[in-house]
Amino acid sequence: MSATVEVVDLVREYRMGDETVQALKGVSFAVQKSEYVAIVGPSGCGKSTLLNLVGVIDKPTSGQVSIAGERVDSLSDSRATEFRLRRIGFVFQRFYLMQALTARENVELPLAEAGLAGAERRDRALELLEYVGLRKRERHRPSQLSGGEQQRVAIARALANRPALLLADEPTGELDARTGAEMIALFERLNADGTTIVVVTHDEELARAARRVIHMRDGLIVGDERAR
Amino acid sequence: MIITLAFASLVRHRARTALAILGVAVSSAMLLDMVMLSSGMRESFRGLLLSQGFQLRIAPKGTLPFDTEATIRDADSLVALIRARPGVQAVSPVLGGQLHFPLGSGAVTAAALGVEPAVQGDYELVAGRNPTSANEIVANDALLRALGRTVGDTVRAAAGYDAQLRALSGERVLRVVGRVRFIYLALEQRAAALPIGTLRAMSGPELESRASVAMVRLRSGVDVERERAELERLLPRVTVISTTKALEQVDERLSYFRQLAVILGAVSLVVGFLLVTTLVTVSVNERIGEIAVMRAIGVRRWRIVAQIVLEAAAIMLVAAPLGLALGLVTARYLNSILARFPGLPERIDFFLFQPSAAWTALGLLAACGVLAGVYPSWRGASLPIATTMRQEAVG
Amino acid sequence: MIFRTILLLLVVALHASSAQEGATRVIALRGRPQGSPRSIAIDSRLAADAALRVGDRVVIAAAPGEPGDTVVVAGVVQRRADPAEIARGEYRIRLHLGQLQALLGYGDRVDRFAVGTRSPAATTDAVARINATAFGFRAHRSADVAVETSKTFAVVSRFHRAIGVITIVASAIFLLCIMLLKVDERRRDVAALRLMGISAPTIVRSVVLEASAIAVLGSLVGVGVGLTASWIVNRHYQGVYRTPLRFSLVTGDIVLLAVALSLVLGIAAGWVAAMRLVRTPPLALFGR
Repeated sequence: MSATVEVVDLVREYRMGDETVQALKGVSFAVQKSEYVAIVGPSGCGKSTLLNLVGVIDKPTSGQVSIAGERVDSLSDSRATEFRLRRIGFVFQRFYLMQALTARENVELPLAEAGLAGAERRDRALELLEYVGLRKRERHRPSQLSGGEQQRVAIARALANRPALLLADEPTGELDARTGAEMIALFERLNADGTTIVVVTHDEELARAARRVIHMRDGLIVGDERAR
Repeated sequence: MIITLAFASLVRHRARTALAILGVAVSSAMLLDMVMLSSGMRESFRGLLLSQGFQLRIAPKGTLPFDTEATIRDADSLVALIRARPGVQAVSPVLGGQLHFPLGSGAVTAAALGVEPAVQGDYELVAGRNPTSANEIVANDALLRALGRTVGDTVRAAAGYDAQLRALSGERVLRVVGRVRFIYLALEQRAAALPIGTLRAMSGPELESRASVAMVRLRSGVDVERERAELERLLPRVTVISTTKALEQVDERLSYFRQLAVILGAVSLVVGFLLVTTLVTVSVNERIGEIAVMRAIGVRRWRIVAQIVLEAAAIMLVAAPLGLALGLVTARYLNSILARFPGLPERIDFFLFQPSAAWTALGLLAACGVLAGVYPSWRGASLPIATTMRQEAVG
Repeated sequence: MIFRTILLLLVVALHASSAQEGATRVIALRGRPQGSPRSIAIDSRLAADAALRVGDRVVIAAAPGEPGDTVVVAGVVQRRADPAEIARGEYRIRLHLGQLQALLGYGDRVDRFAVGTRSPAATTDAVARINATAFGFRAHRSADVAVETSKTFAVVSRFHRAIGVITIVASAIFLLCIMLLKVDERRRDVAALRLMGISAPTIVRSVVLEASAIAVLGSLVGVGVGLTASWIVNRHYQGVYRTPLRFSLVTGDIVLLAVALSLVLGIAAGWVAAMRLVRTPPLALFGR
């Protein structure tokens, strides 16, 4: 069976005035189904850039990215959007919930976009909130939720359309140690339930919880170890 | 979901939303007023001309009705000729002049219309009756007030005033049989109407068989323009004007107001457009990170644009009735100013409310609002996702 | 009667021919020499439309088909900038009084006299004496006549003023709205400055300064636009109505009023917007 994620010789360059900055200098790796991978490295090593490319929210300068057997590195904007909606779930460091919507409505957002009808959408959203332990907070707006609760809503949103892949960029970055630990436990449960997860993190605890750790430095993979 | 987001976004910034609504309301009020002004006079004048059912007016060659003091010679034979035509239902000859009513040591002067009371179309009876004999007269309130007379009283009136002898000529005693409202005269203008034969006799031999204008009512189904052309061919010494032609003349003379309406209307549209564009641009700029996240989680670009445009549309929707009310109030005020034009018929309105005018104004503004919202929202939804999110995170 | 206005000119105009059918016509180039013809002056509109020039001979008659007088065009007269004449499309000729009286069969009659006096006091004296001794006609001061006949333009003037007031009110609302939006856009910058320790009055001053600069620039552009628009309006309507009348006049007072208003409104709008921002706690401005 093909890997869930396949990255071949990925290069990403940015122009900053007269200079060209190479954020990625030729990265290759693969992630299998139900793997839990952490990508670690110092600031500026290119790990977030790599995640963005895998998450189809950025385009590489050269190289290939395939997700669930489909090439995604040169999709049109509308196809890429559709792909992100149905095949990828993204969790961000700063949660990025819609402040104007309730917790349930935030989770419903990608479901509505996918065309789910009202009742079905609502039920699925409640199911997801139940899964992350926030069923009772469904009517609360983000400003009424703690950081940890907001991140759990963000995870529920990311799982809405049963994605092939869950990507998380510093998911514990804005959380205190206790809440961070709760988040790590949630990721472990998700992975145990079969979700393929790739996280980018500075958090050692979160990296330790992953089954595989990819080390990056200066736009290149310098290490790839299986933790347990 | 889009509606929820749009509504929530508007509620989040109440003061800004309220001001934007007010701004758009003012814009739509001005636009409505200008649409009303551009067509109001014309429609009001058309209504006035057709109020008594006369579709054609016959005036001395090269003139408009009552535009000069010129009169039509041999008007009686002309009227008889027109009446004989099968397509003609009625002809009302009118002779314009002045009557002087001695009062104390002076005299009250009023406009006088010599008419055939049975077919006249120049006044509406308010009280009393039409003149049925030669020495009867009807007058409007302004004249009756000035004379201190009422229906049933007699008055002395003279058609001429000889400056050399300081004497009135063509004097008669007339009985006031009716109180009327003159359709084509200003409210405050003193005026009277009497049988055309009486006015001619009072005015002297130079006005014998003369008329200032003849109004023609055609039978239903008759082609107005064809009849007009035919009459003009048959009667080369007069000008025959249809309502359409009269309106064209009015349009030409009052084109200033139409042009002003177009210019101010365009300015209102542009300002409304700018206001909505600015509002949407600021709204988008504030939420650029949010928009990038929505794109990241798979929300399509057009949906994001639709949400933002919906906000603009919501502002329009709320502002529209406010603008309508404001526009009507302002139009009434401006109309009251213009109604003071000397000699303007009472029934002429410069700002005439027609539902079509309201819809036109609203439609224009709505289209503008949507257009104004589309570009900035499309731009915002088209920014590179990763870069925008990074910038927003740092910012 | 609906479209009538009162003429002010001394010149015996075509409308003096009351009780005549149509108007006195000028017939071009049907000359009948009768000794030395008298001269007339025609207006520039007639000269242009009938292709008449100084020196041309024409016949003028009281009615179409009647015999008339052969005259020579001695001059072409430019219309005066009289608002009362704007919408009137008739042609005008000036001829010797006696000739017109004879032509119309008017006898020794005129419509009006114009009297020139040496001083205002002399005017008052003349009016009183004429009214006391004249046989049934009245003397009026030209200024009084002008007031009466300007009623139409007084109405137009009031209308314009009302439109102007409405425009100013509307502009004030638009300005406030846009200024609020623009200043609101900078909420994060303002929040960062406040967190750094920059005082609220300093921030308000800076925003108001910016608003003032925009108001000054905007006023200058506005004056430029107004002058250009005024020129275009005058060119257009002078062409349409074939008159030297100036329809739009931009005076120093008007410029001063417009600039003062826009400056005051712009600065006030900037101040209101700035005060709103500084009253909000900095962290709230960050959205936290």
